[in-house]
Amino acid sequence: MTIPKVLLLGEIEHAHESWNSLSSFAELITPKSTTRADFLEELKSGQLDGVLVIYRTFASADQTGKFDAEVIKLLPESIKFICHNGAGYDQVDVHACTDRGIKVSNTPTAVDDATADINLFLILGALRGLNTSMVALRQGNWRGNPPPPLGHDPEGKTLGILGMGGIGRNLKKKAEAFSMKVIYHNRNQLSNEQAAGAEYVSFEELLSRSDIISLNLPLNQNTRHIISTREFGMMKKGVVIVNTARGAVMDEDALVKALDSGHVASCGLDVYEDEPKIHPGLVANPQVMLVPHMGTWTIETQTAMEEWNISNVRSVLETGALRNVVPEQKDMK
Amino acid sequence: MTQKSALLIGGIAHIRKEWEECSSFLKLSEYPDGSREDFMSRCKNGEYSDLFAIYRSNESTKVTGPFNKELIDVLPSSLKFICHNGAGYDNIDIDACTRRGIQVASTPVAVNDATADVAMFLMLGALRRITPSFQAVHQGKWKGSDPRLGHDPKNKVLGILGMGGIGSAVATRAKAFGMKVQYHNRSRLSENEEQGAKYVGFEELLKTSDVLSLNLSLNASTRHIISKEQFDMMKDGIIIVNTARGPLIDEAALVDALKSGKVWSAGLDVFEEEPKIHPGLLNNNNVVLLPHMGTSTWETQRDMELLVLNNLKEAVKNGKLITQVPEQKKAKANI
Repeated sequence: MTIPKVLLLGEIEHAHESWNSLSSFAELITPKSTTRADFLEELKSGQLDGVLVIYRTFASADQTGKFDAEVIKLLPESIKFICHNGAGYDQVDVHACTDRGIKVSNTPTAVDDATADINLFLILGALRGLNTSMVALRQGNWRGNPPPPLGHDPEGKTLGILGMGGIGRNLKKKAEAFSMKVIYHNRNQLSNEQAAGAEYVSFEELLSRSDIISLNLPLNQNTRHIISTREFGMMKKGVVIVNTARGAVMDEDALVKALDSGHVASCGLDVYEDEPKIHPGLVANPQVMLVPHMGTWTIETQTAMEEWNISNVRSVLETGALRNVVPEQKDMK
Repeated sequence: MTQKSALLIGGIAHIRKEWEECSSFLKLSEYPDGSREDFMSRCKNGEYSDLFAIYRSNESTKVTGPFNKELIDVLPSSLKFICHNGAGYDNIDIDACTRRGIQVASTPVAVNDATADVAMFLMLGALRRITPSFQAVHQGKWKGSDPRLGHDPKNKVLGILGMGGIGSAVATRAKAFGMKVQYHNRSRLSENEEQGAKYVGFEELLKTSDVLSLNLSLNASTRHIISKEQFDMMKDGIIIVNTARGPLIDEAALVDALKSGKVWSAGLDVFEEEPKIHPGLLNNNNVVLLPHMGTSTWETQRDMELLVLNNLKEAVKNGKLITQVPEQKKAKANI
């Protein structure tokens, strides 16, 4: 019986031992191609036939492009599993996978702490208005001239979390240590135990009641630009917005207009609609706090994510099943 | 009975109305700007001869210079209370005040949350290597040419030096991030106050902490409490956070420790010679620097000003203070 093949798209940076240990169960291969066009050719040529499971990273899209319908259509029949290293899997067309009987896993949970930490860092930075003074200091002007406007304390403020998944719930606990009151909106209301005291509200109520809004929902067809001009209009004047989810859940141009008008006082962003490009209106705004998609960028979390993704590959090789599948496929046989 | 007299040194930004309402029971005067020589000469030629209390604004040291012995000694003998806006009062010579029968209030508690929030911002920023990322984004370079991974706070040992109001507020926040908290303090706190934090000796704090947060007050015995000798005791790769007072750390020794890698990163809100910053810090990409922003919010600034005013009112109405500085409370107990 032929030994199964595992295709690695992207790099293993930390969990080398775990990855290499898979070689007792499977042949570990990498593509020859380095561009999308070449990758599609490689798929068509049959060179990747026999691959059972793909381990892919977020960064591998730089070589293969997104795992959209075009790519999925060309995957060999043998492929039954795609293990995506990342909690957000919008790079993968899950519906196309389901249609071909390919199951997809991601790496939730492992990302929760690190993402919530950056999220809270951005909340503090935006709410306290710390960007202008940090920049002034580095330019040799201490606090700057004129001195920066005063910021606001998080204590007593209402934090509206849009998307109360693992990251949202992790953020809630940390936000409460700063005496913020948490309300949330989610596809479905959580059980009392999971909500742990957070108040469930409608989407509109979240927008109108929150002093700070945090975006913690996945990007898909329903959530693209879920925050746009209409939604900004419903928010409190002086609201602070933080996004560590996916850039495209927010209309970046509408955000810039809302910032320029003062309706949105400040924002903290880790993600952007068209990374690595950032709307120049954001870069030009001294009030905003911008970081380059580093939500899970720690040694500990990157290692844990790789370990989880590798364990999904191993689970397929050892048991024929993944440890987790993406929510859209939970009922898939 | 003649009204008592109060002098505002510096400005009031948030409670102008409340200050002016005090004119119903206090004679109010102001010294918003001037100079040390001018202020002292007015004291000496009797302009404030019936002064009962001073409202000393946060920025007043810029106006009159520090309230050291030289200045305290020329204050009118009628003066009984100095109500200072600031949790740190190292620019007031408390002994000199006590010897002249002047009671001093500061503004603890009101500053706790805002200062602890900045400490956490600096701690997270230092752990996550935020500075090169900020800079790269603003230069249009996205992650930059050499993006490096940071660290999670989870399961790291946070050592708090000075477990007062601010230190306790930092501990509460750090625990939410999964950090293990230990502390060293002049005296051990009660179990209730400790909230699970472990009390350790000063040297053990230095030797076993992954992150060290300075939350103690500056006085003669704490100046340069962290210097080369202390850095040498610390774990390799420690992270230092200081939102207390710059002179607690020997800044040059910190720069050396950063260069050698002993200190992996630092988050600083205060500096030995503010607003001057050691160039070795400015040149280091692994530090997060803020220009003393610990309490710079509308809510906290207002709360601080109100606390000073409430101390003033208590002094006038009942002859005592709400938040008298601890050094004077101890002195009283010895009598």
